[in-house]
Amino acid sequence: MKQYILQRLASGLIVLLGISIFSFALIHLIPGDPIRIMLGENATAEQVHALREQLGLNQPLVTQYFQYLANVLQGDLGTSFKTGRPVLSEILERFPATVKLAASGMFLAICIGITMGVLAARFKDTFIDFSAMSIATLGVSVPSFWLGILLIMLFTVKLGWLPIAGGTGFRDLILPAVTLGVLASTVISRLTRAGMVEVLSFDYIRTARAKGLGEGAVLFIHAFRNAMIPVVTIIGLQIASLLGGTVIIERVFDWPGLGSLAISSIASRDFPLVQGIILFIGVIFVLVNMLVDIVYSLIDPRIEVGQTKEGTS
Amino acid sequence: MVPTAYLKKLFSTATMVSLSMALIAGCSTPPASSPPEGSAPSTTTSTETPAATADLQPKKGGTITIGIANEPDQLDIHKTGMAVANQIAGNLGASLVTQDPDTLEFKPYLAESWQVSEDGKTWTFKIRTDVKFHDGTAMTAKSIAETYQRALNPETAAKVAGSNLSEVESVEASDDTTLVLHLKQPFAPLLQFLSDPGWLQPLSMQAIEQAGDKYARQPVGVGPWKFEKWENGQSISFTRNEEFAWADPIFKNQGAPYADRLVYRFIAENQTLLAALDSGSIDIARGVVAKDVAKYRDNPQFEVKEMLRNGLGLFVMLNTRKPVFQDVEVRQALNKAINKEAIMKAVIQGEGVVSYGPLPPSLFGYDESVKDYGLTYQVDEAKALLEKAGYTKNAQGLYEKDGKPLKLDLLTQTGTWAQASQLIQAMLKDIGVEVNIVTLEWGALVDTATKGSFDMTLMGYTLNDPDVLYLFLHSSQADSGLNFSYVKDEKMDELLVKGRTTVDSAARKDVYKEVQKYVVEQAWWVPIYTEKQFNVVRKPVEGVGIHPLRGLMYHDSWVNQ
Repeated sequence: MKQYILQRLASGLIVLLGISIFSFALIHLIPGDPIRIMLGENATAEQVHALREQLGLNQPLVTQYFQYLANVLQGDLGTSFKTGRPVLSEILERFPATVKLAASGMFLAICIGITMGVLAARFKDTFIDFSAMSIATLGVSVPSFWLGILLIMLFTVKLGWLPIAGGTGFRDLILPAVTLGVLASTVISRLTRAGMVEVLSFDYIRTARAKGLGEGAVLFIHAFRNAMIPVVTIIGLQIASLLGGTVIIERVFDWPGLGSLAISSIASRDFPLVQGIILFIGVIFVLVNMLVDIVYSLIDPRIEVGQTKEGTS
Repeated sequence: MVPTAYLKKLFSTATMVSLSMALIAGCSTPPASSPPEGSAPSTTTSTETPAATADLQPKKGGTITIGIANEPDQLDIHKTGMAVANQIAGNLGASLVTQDPDTLEFKPYLAESWQVSEDGKTWTFKIRTDVKFHDGTAMTAKSIAETYQRALNPETAAKVAGSNLSEVESVEASDDTTLVLHLKQPFAPLLQFLSDPGWLQPLSMQAIEQAGDKYARQPVGVGPWKFEKWENGQSISFTRNEEFAWADPIFKNQGAPYADRLVYRFIAENQTLLAALDSGSIDIARGVVAKDVAKYRDNPQFEVKEMLRNGLGLFVMLNTRKPVFQDVEVRQALNKAINKEAIMKAVIQGEGVVSYGPLPPSLFGYDESVKDYGLTYQVDEAKALLEKAGYTKNAQGLYEKDGKPLKLDLLTQTGTWAQASQLIQAMLKDIGVEVNIVTLEWGALVDTATKGSFDMTLMGYTLNDPDVLYLFLHSSQADSGLNFSYVKDEKMDELLVKGRTTVDSAARKDVYKEVQKYVVEQAWWVPIYTEKQFNVVRKPVEGVGIHPLRGLMYHDSWVNQ
């Protein structure tokens, strides 16, 4: 287990190195000059030159990259071009809001998704199955900003029940979390249904039923656990991507998380901040994926961590 | 000077974002940014309290919440270049002189009086003595001198504040009430700049020293509102300055503000901004676009505050580095081939005025006769001009000269500009000129335009003084400034310098009359339109004023609760 975690950490570092090179290249290659954006168009050529030198942007890209990498390894993600504050504190200031939204959204998604999936599988080919899967299909097809705006129109503008753009309190959280939860639940319910349908056709389930176990016990003790592996994978991936900030939903609901920070920093060509956010999200992905693999072994003792290839393929 | 912030659409309509370059404006009607800067006195909604509420007495208390798209980078007004920072910081400050919203005349404010020496280079201001900073220190002529010295100090790298004072050689305060500005040369726009409570407001040096690096996020001024807190990514709030007894004379309220708090809430998404207004989460929505405004006009619960932008909202810059545009006939032909009226109707629902010259009606120096001599939509004349310039139609129906067909690139960005560029493309195709639209994100567009590698680009500007044309058309601005058209014309240079150094108002007006005429003749630009800008105020907030050059004013505002 320990060796496995170390292995995963090592490969995670390589992934992060790749991410850092890729994000660095990308942000420097898209057109738009941060110096001009920062100084404004009244700036003289001397001012532009001086600031470029001060920020090290006159160095060759490769030099700039290694300088950046050296700083990152010392825990310094740089300072934001726009606000002049440390990138890490900008990110950490926004991260709690994103975690709050991601956690509540995922909680809803899991509740809705698993309930619908299990019901659909148990009542396969009935009206319940059909309805649940129709909703799931609809949910996959609906763009998040559309659902978000629809919910705002109904619950904020028409009914006046819930606030919008009011901060990050509980009442402010409901609409974005529901939007997120409903959309994320669709994949979970489909995968749960597929897994459950397969497992429910196995002989041991027939045996369990034959020995007179209640339907609840059959479903949740015998079948559910075995149907969960793919579901856990997808939940893990979803959590990781939600923690990176859900750009669209944060924007529609004016939620001050990592997603809205990412958008505004791209717009102002705030190189250090954009790179910092991408790297931060990369770290989260690597860590969450590792956790997911560990969770496999807890769900299915046959899977030993370190041999996940055989176990999960 | 009130440069605008501009924004543009990044990822289609979902994400509008703002940048902070002073002056030029990206998207002409973005649901965000800084509409409140700009307007023609003639089209400005009255600053009077509406008749229906005229007999209501203002009440104390409550919070006024303003929804705005952009968050400033900081509120150290010397160090920021963002227009939104200026708008927000204007609540913390006060100006040396003020400008009457109706007559646009300059009047005393923090300066009780002022004198200009005969050569126009020494300006002496008599400063009032009853004003205090939020930190309790007294404001004197010396504080203002120190403030301007800070703005002029290269180490501060003051952006707009520095450029507004760029013609000032030195500042001194001989005693607590006498402030003297020594200018390099007479500079006409100076009073305009000094009337802005944002960029050139007095700052407390004591507060700046004490706060150090943190000053950018805990500013101190002499204005009606005191800084309370900044919630990153969400809002900036102010509380009433209880001691405030030195209100700008243009307001009815001469004491502290009525409301307890003033809050700016940052809402980047247009739909969300409107939903927040509809549901009462915010009281005032800034920068509502023309297509959304109609429903608020008919609803008694809302009041629409509109004004004409302080600058051309949309014009085409022709790049005279390119041989094709060194020919004035070709430039004039394009001016006559483009139907401005049609573009304005399609792109901004007709909510604006068609432009024929380089200045909009909302700016000083605009001369109405431009409507008579401006180049109007005349397809036949456009074709005749091209033919006169030596172009002939080829087999594909395109004009060509020396075997080279007339094909031009047009830089644009997404949003309303993209619609405008498609219309321009179709109109020019009609006369036999092929246009290739190049859509760039705003920062990239400015980058490309600065480098000069384009044929034509769309552009817009906001500034409350016609001296803006110096920045756009003077030869000194051709290589690294805003003179993207690369105009290097002696007569133009001479006129523009005369415009900024002629302090006498009537004489200055004549200069710009001539500037306007000359720019139309030379046709370096194709002016298209200047749009109205909209803000929507929701009841129970009453008494929100509008200044044609400063935008919304909150000092007479109160919450009718």
